[in-house]
Amino acid sequence: MQPQFSKAEVATTPEGALVHDDSTAKWFLVSSVAYFFIVGIIAVIIAAKFVWPDLMGTMSWLTYGRLRPLHVNGMLFGWLLAADMGLAYYVIPRLCGVKLWSEKLGLATAILWNVIILGAVVTLLAGQNQGWEYAELPWYLDVLVVAAWIMFGLNVLMTVASRKHQAMYVTIWYTMGCILWTAFVYLTGNFATLVTTGTNQANLNWMYVHNAVGLIFTPIGLAIAYYFIPRASNTPLHSHKLSMVGFWSLAFVYVWTGAHHMLHGPISQWLQTIAIAFSLMLLIPVWAVVYNLFATMKGQWHQLRESVPLKFLMSGVVFYLLTCFQGPMHSLRTVNAIVSKTDWIPGHAHMAVLGCFSFFAIAGTYFTVPKLWGKPLHSQSLANWSYWMLMIGGLGFFTTLWLGGFWQGWQWNNWSIPFIDTVIALRPIWIVRFVSGILMFIGIVMFAYNILATALGDQQEAAV
Amino acid sequence: MAPTDYTYPSVYFAYLFFALMFFLAVYFFFKSRRDGYWGEKGEEAKYQMFDEDETPRSTP
Repeated sequence: MQPQFSKAEVATTPEGALVHDDSTAKWFLVSSVAYFFIVGIIAVIIAAKFVWPDLMGTMSWLTYGRLRPLHVNGMLFGWLLAADMGLAYYVIPRLCGVKLWSEKLGLATAILWNVIILGAVVTLLAGQNQGWEYAELPWYLDVLVVAAWIMFGLNVLMTVASRKHQAMYVTIWYTMGCILWTAFVYLTGNFATLVTTGTNQANLNWMYVHNAVGLIFTPIGLAIAYYFIPRASNTPLHSHKLSMVGFWSLAFVYVWTGAHHMLHGPISQWLQTIAIAFSLMLLIPVWAVVYNLFATMKGQWHQLRESVPLKFLMSGVVFYLLTCFQGPMHSLRTVNAIVSKTDWIPGHAHMAVLGCFSFFAIAGTYFTVPKLWGKPLHSQSLANWSYWMLMIGGLGFFTTLWLGGFWQGWQWNNWSIPFIDTVIALRPIWIVRFVSGILMFIGIVMFAYNILATALGDQQEAAV
Repeated sequence: MAPTDYTYPSVYFAYLFFALMFFLAVYFFFKSRRDGYWGEKGEEAKYQMFDEDETPRSTP
């Protein structure tokens, strides 16, 4: 089993092997795990507010309107992107066979990233909000994000430029794609929208929101999956050529899909049709990825019994398939007429960002932290429990919101039902959502404690 | 269009990025063909991660 390294194993360095510093990866991973826990508390509070709307309602900085953007930005940038960056700092030098180009620059990036996240906590709780989905942060924090991304990109690209191997593994392709695509997606979503108006502004915003998932978290998430599935199962990838098909088809197709968030809205029909067509074409890169990763596990599925990282990774692949089938389907005009703006959408988004990409990041963190600190994982048993809590809670959350979203959409399509009645009708759905959120939060607590105890504790042997 | 409305320049700016990404994707796609990612040795890259492996890998 891959993550259960004995003390002797983790202490052994093969003769002539490169010794990596990994300070940057450590800082990013520890801080991202801490944010995962802290923002998880916010998540539970806002889930509770759906059931008890008056909860903490008299304190302005604890109202839903301030906590919700903090939850979104905290999870996306404080936890997931930071964890993905930490894993990239671990993976890229190893795949290139060289040390990270600049550990000092990496540490400066980690410090700046933490300044940004802490700044986001203060400004969002204080009510400073640009009012745009995923782009709520004030402009001066946006500028810092751009600076941090340039520092991250420079470090990774310079490491790749000095690589030992000429051929680049698919993880490197996806990471470089993420660096490039994030640059233009983030600039468009956070700066171009500031000087636009009306439907064009909304259209640019939804292009950003969709591509924040599709061109930021998807490529870096797949980069991680493509590295850790073969690594954790000790099995080479099924087909590198097929992985290239997936990469290039994603590069061609994804950019154009954002307008499907504006279906039935006041934008051109041709733009809506293009968005639908390209959304359906997403099935090509998705199937290329999923088939490749499933085929890699052929004859190796038994390893899931013992390996927590593989459990998270392969569950993440299944969720990736589901969410990427769901996406094109609800881009169809007829389906969209029912589910758009309903609870279906957060169900879909959570399956992508939590069920798929966070599962990949959790797996990578479980895999790398024992190696980075040269210690066995604090508790395999706790790691296994964290998987089941996140899986059961996640499934409850996703399925409840899909069913609730469809129900909500059917009610909204019936003009004879007053809107407030549709809100009251959804309360049982939100109770299940809250309970599922509690289960997921317990899983997050177990994961965070396990990782931090491994990194910061001084245990001698695994306490399984 | 109002004097302070920069809607169209901004949208064109965004679509410029789209076009830039498209042409970069096309360029790098053909560059990857030239660099041999689609040829006989296209599968070699997937073994790189095991170079520093401490444990023997299983038979594919």
